[in-house]
Amino acid sequence: MAVAVLMPVFDEVAALRRTLAGLRDVAAELGGVTVFLVDDGSEIPVAPDALPPPTPSFRIVVARHGVNLGQGAAIETARQIALADGDFAAYVTMDSDGQHGAEDAVALARAVEGGADVAFGNRFLGGSRVPFVRAIVLAAARTFERHLTGLRLADAHNGLRAFSRRALERVPIRQNRMAHATEIKQRVARAGPLAVVEVPVTVRYTAETLAKGQSSLGAVVILRDLAQQYLFGEAE
Amino acid sequence: MTLASAALLALVLGLLAYDVATIRGKRGRYLLVEAAAFLVGGFFIAFPERATAIAHLVGIGRGVDFFLYPIVIWLVRESLLSRRRRLEDAERLTQAVRALAVAEARAVEAREPRDR
Repeated sequence: MAVAVLMPVFDEVAALRRTLAGLRDVAAELGGVTVFLVDDGSEIPVAPDALPPPTPSFRIVVARHGVNLGQGAAIETARQIALADGDFAAYVTMDSDGQHGAEDAVALARAVEGGADVAFGNRFLGGSRVPFVRAIVLAAARTFERHLTGLRLADAHNGLRAFSRRALERVPIRQNRMAHATEIKQRVARAGPLAVVEVPVTVRYTAETLAKGQSSLGAVVILRDLAQQYLFGEAE
Repeated sequence: MTLASAALLALVLGLLAYDVATIRGKRGRYLLVEAAAFLVGGFFIAFPERATAIAHLVGIGRGVDFFLYPIVIWLVRESLLSRRRRLEDAERLTQAVRALAVAEARAVEAREPRDR
């Protein structure tokens, strides 16, 4: 059965095209890939004509947020569209800014096809060359998330993940911005018995991706968003 | 009247004048509430001994504390409520934007090869 890829994009068309080309190359190997691409209010909207055309094993469904809401909101939109679109063997989330590669999407999808409900990418087991400051922030985030969720995972805030359908159905995302990564783990932990594994992945840190990506100071905003959700969000 | 009282009164009057001059129309009705609050505040700035007398009456030491305590409580509550309202508004905006995005989601279609 085919694999769904949930992908937010915001003002990064060149890297997006490279990422999509990589997915198209592995689509047949995965039994088909459908990318649910959500343009999160890019200043210049992502034009479908600028994207790779469909093949028998590869297609792209494009949606657009009229205003920029945040990565979490874009993944949630992609999640809803993908769940309504049909059944897939695995639902992979990955970034479009060039940090994530198609080979890791394959590895994560395989883990779910192999029986896992949720497969989290672990950049510390792959070939990632994590910048020093980022590694310290991630270590703090990992400790924080372990206390918050009880999940004993070695990585934190890694956008490479895969879900089975039954797991994805239980992980609606309310956090519009970057705190969604912690929220996903909270929901997975609370969702009942789900088989969770970690898969080695490589996160590519380049000048481009570091400039575009989340700053380490974003951790403060994430803590604020989580606190706000706890204080003002709907009781569950 | 002390120099501090005069400066505070000037500030209150200045703020009120500025708000009246810049905010007009139906959305400016709250200026009446602001004017009433500033009037009461101005009175107690000009005659602080009256505020102290009232404070003593209810068992509070200083007149200014009589006003500060409820104002701080009100401001904290107002801050929390407005933050909650802002989050609720953001959630409604998210739902509206998402509904539109989902309704208009389209698959990228095959393109005809271009003539050279």
